[in-house]
Amino acid sequence: MSKPVVLDLKDATIRFGGLIAVNKVNFNIHEGDLFGLIGPNGAGKTTCFNLITGVYTPTEGDIFFKGNRINGLAPNKIAARGICRTFQNIRLFGSLSVLENVVVGGFLRHRTGLLSALAYLPPAIHETAALRVQAMELLEVLDLADVADVRSRDLPYGKQRRLEIARAMATGPELLLLDEPAAGMNPNEKEDLAETVRLIRDNFGKTILLIEHDMKFVMNLCEKIVVLDHGEEIAQGPPAEIRNNPKVIEAYLGEAV
Amino acid sequence: MDSGLHLVAGLDWGALPQNLILAIGLGAVYALIALGYTMVYGVLKLINFAHSEVFMLGAYTALFTSYWLGFSPEALQQASRESNWLNLLMMLLASMVFCAVVGVIIEFFAYRPMRDQPRIASLITAIGVSLLIQYGGALVLPVSPPPSINEAVNPYRGSIPVQLIAQNPALAAEAAKAKEAFDVADAAFQEQMKAERSEFDLSPRGLELRTAKQVAERNYRTVRKKAEDSGRELSIPKGQMIMFGTTVMLMAVLTWLVLKTRTGRAMRAASHDFDTASLMGISVNRIVTITFIIGSALAGAGAMMQATFIGTPLTTFYAVSLGVKAFVAAVLGGIGNIPGAVLGGMLMALAETLVVWMGKSEWKDAIAFVILIVVLLFRPGGLLGSAKVEKV
Amino acid sequence: MNWPIRIGSIVLAIVVCFGIQYLATTMLKSDGQRLVALAGLYVTLAVSLNMINGITGQFSIGHAAFYCVGAYIAGFVSLRFFQAQPLQPVLWLVVMMVLGAAAACVAGFVVGLPSLRLRGDYLAIVTLGFGEIIRIVIQNTKELGGAYALDKIPAIREIWLVWLLAIVTIAVSRNLLKTARGLAFLAVREDEVASSAMGVNVTQIKVTAFVLGSAFAGAAGALLAHYETSILPTTFSMDVSFIILTMVVLGGSGSITGSALAAVSLFYLPEYLRSQPPVSGASLAAAVIVIVAVVAVLRRIQHHYHGTVAKKVGLYIGSIVGGVVAKLILGALFGLIPAFAKASYTGDKLRMVIFAGTLIIVMLLRPQGIFAHHEFSWTLIRRLYDKVRGKGAQGAPA
Repeated sequence: MSKPVVLDLKDATIRFGGLIAVNKVNFNIHEGDLFGLIGPNGAGKTTCFNLITGVYTPTEGDIFFKGNRINGLAPNKIAARGICRTFQNIRLFGSLSVLENVVVGGFLRHRTGLLSALAYLPPAIHETAALRVQAMELLEVLDLADVADVRSRDLPYGKQRRLEIARAMATGPELLLLDEPAAGMNPNEKEDLAETVRLIRDNFGKTILLIEHDMKFVMNLCEKIVVLDHGEEIAQGPPAEIRNNPKVIEAYLGEAV
Repeated sequence: MDSGLHLVAGLDWGALPQNLILAIGLGAVYALIALGYTMVYGVLKLINFAHSEVFMLGAYTALFTSYWLGFSPEALQQASRESNWLNLLMMLLASMVFCAVVGVIIEFFAYRPMRDQPRIASLITAIGVSLLIQYGGALVLPVSPPPSINEAVNPYRGSIPVQLIAQNPALAAEAAKAKEAFDVADAAFQEQMKAERSEFDLSPRGLELRTAKQVAERNYRTVRKKAEDSGRELSIPKGQMIMFGTTVMLMAVLTWLVLKTRTGRAMRAASHDFDTASLMGISVNRIVTITFIIGSALAGAGAMMQATFIGTPLTTFYAVSLGVKAFVAAVLGGIGNIPGAVLGGMLMALAETLVVWMGKSEWKDAIAFVILIVVLLFRPGGLLGSAKVEKV
Repeated sequence: MNWPIRIGSIVLAIVVCFGIQYLATTMLKSDGQRLVALAGLYVTLAVSLNMINGITGQFSIGHAAFYCVGAYIAGFVSLRFFQAQPLQPVLWLVVMMVLGAAAACVAGFVVGLPSLRLRGDYLAIVTLGFGEIIRIVIQNTKELGGAYALDKIPAIREIWLVWLLAIVTIAVSRNLLKTARGLAFLAVREDEVASSAMGVNVTQIKVTAFVLGSAFAGAAGALLAHYETSILPTTFSMDVSFIILTMVVLGGSGSITGSALAAVSLFYLPEYLRSQPPVSGASLAAAVIVIVAVVAVLRRIQHHYHGTVAKKVGLYIGSIVGGVVAKLILGALFGLIPAFAKASYTGDKLRMVIFAGTLIIVMLLRPQGIFAHHEFSWTLIRRLYDKVRGKGAQGAPA
């Protein structure tokens, strides 16, 4: 691999009291990767996301983003560095419109001050207009342009998941973390989503790390996969290798792979 | 400028134990009101602003019951009466029952329809109910002059002295002797008074005896003070003891109810997760009603005891600040947490009494909030509560 | 940016303010003028609390504290320095508003800090506590009049300035909602965790909201001090905080229009009732019974009737008319009972009862507030009209 490392987890560990939710997890993601993070329920996948995005601080170990240590930073600081995420249990700004949700995602690119906004001065007006245009473009990409003015709470489930991605994209991240983006979608929707994720990587040059339960979806989409079980990393490699890894099969015993 | 040391040294340390005893009675009242707030909050996540008005109505119920038992001002003017414990019990029960009924009515008409609505809407409704009872009550209840329960209805007046440090025996003996001397002089003077025309026109003999009596009295006072200062005595007001005892008893019943009965288990389940509890076949309406019955009845008990043993002139607004402080106590202890409410109430009363003892009574009402803010900054969930961590 | 429209609206706002002043001073006596001024102050208070509560979602129930800080600082400084300074009274008043706002900002900052750690009801009780502490501190400060009034504050009564402040508060709130930056405030209200994951500095936004909201309340306090010339710690009690909160929620939390209109109506309701003739006990009893019944009927129609909007509105009107008739009949019947007929209640005694009743009834019938999250706009009126006419069936509920 000649491409630079974007995200690097070194022995990342977090304990809640006596429970070790994530134990000495190591993996690194290179620029432009489409990386999968899988594992049975309770394996610590979402906790891993929470560690990377600053919701939790690792008890031990370090997390590097483009060579800089980011553990202990506040979530908004990490977002400013260029990591953004979606949420497994959808957390949209329910009573804001679809477009407004995405505009909020553009917060990091605000250059005008509060006073300008309060007085409704030209810089604030122009900036808002520009952010709305950019947001609209993102909605086009995620096929949400036709519902731009609908309250996000009123969207159907699949579209809410897409909106989560659009909103995260709006922050202009280099690394995009998707937490079960396909959950609750029907096969057609999943196919469309896979297409979109690929498009985001290829056309927008993002690096993507995603958690997913649907094995078919992950195996088809991702180029490299890490498997967690009981907070520990049990396998790492390309899909074909993972599929035949006995440890992985054991962890998923009873589940169709 | 007072230095800190001077401030500490200037305190009347000897009076501290007495103040602590007074704090217990007040703490019992706070705890009883705080329990109502905390229970309703635990189940409905609603700050029941009308709770202090339920308390106020409890005090009025006690007042009217005492009138009905023959302790109204008119009746007492005609003849003084002796009371007994049965009267107190009847007042207590009347208050508890009436408050329970009021609590259930408020819940049914004002809070139940709001259950699926944003919480701030229920909060405004609660403020509305509170104002409605305050001002509506003022239309029909006697408020001016503010009536208060006649202390004749309480057979347990006065206090029990408890000796902490015995008085110096020599001084005590001297005081006894001085008292004897005073008694003799007084008796002589009283005897002479029978022969006198008027107190203001004494004969030389009368004047002489009066002077002798006054000298003996002054002497007795000085010696007695000296004797008393050599020892230390606590006087425990009987009312405070009853309040404390009743509170402990009610608390024990409540703890048993919540921990050991089916209803209590359902209540805890509903408090944990309202929606899931109802899916598990718990009739949440019934649980909420029971919660209001218990919480309001406790407020009724607190109101009756406060109005009878501490004695406050009643108006329909008199419970507002009491209610706010009790609510603060509930939050301090960790709202939704039953032992927390008791702890919070006791701490609140203790803090207030200490502030008064330090001679800063004008800050009495602020101390509650200062403690609250300090505690919440360090323990955002209150003393015994745990702050819920949001799952991401 | 459309400069002609902008300049036009600024001019219009100033004209409206002077219009209010002109009408008030020519048509009303000093009592009435005072009410016009106070109503303007309440609009400022409600709209500024809406910035904290409605827009940013921070549950503050101690807004009167900021009003209090502004009033006392401005009053104190004016009392000392007004005579010795060279400015015109109006200019001086503006300076005092800035001073009051600045002082309240500081208080807002201090109160805003706990919002970083505390949520919901815990934050609410802390804001309430701060309000009470500030009041008690003033009560114990001799220089500020202690428990007695801080009086002899120079009288500078400018109704236009009061209403200009109200309009500025409204404009600032509206600007906030129109810009991308303002959306971040709404985002914090909706979901703090998601907001910070999107790079929004939640801490900064919350504290900003408190500082901003309290600044306007502080400026309003400065105006109050110079209008009343005498202020008491009890002028800013917990009740005042509750009333401001009620205005926000009744109007529709988050709606600027709602807060402003609710402020004016809820302020005038008790004042209007104060001057009403006494009501007999019979009439009062009948009214209470009928109101309870009508509210119950209205709620049933609201939740269980699924006809067209027009029919529903018809039913509403029908039940209210029925209620009025029933009240008249019942009132006459009760009048036959001597005890009921004899009792009489003055408007002054009833006004707070009716105020409280109104709160409960509005909340029971429209828990989301009169305006819910909507703002006044011509499209809203149009949609409402269409809805009642049975046209645009898919129109958003208003």
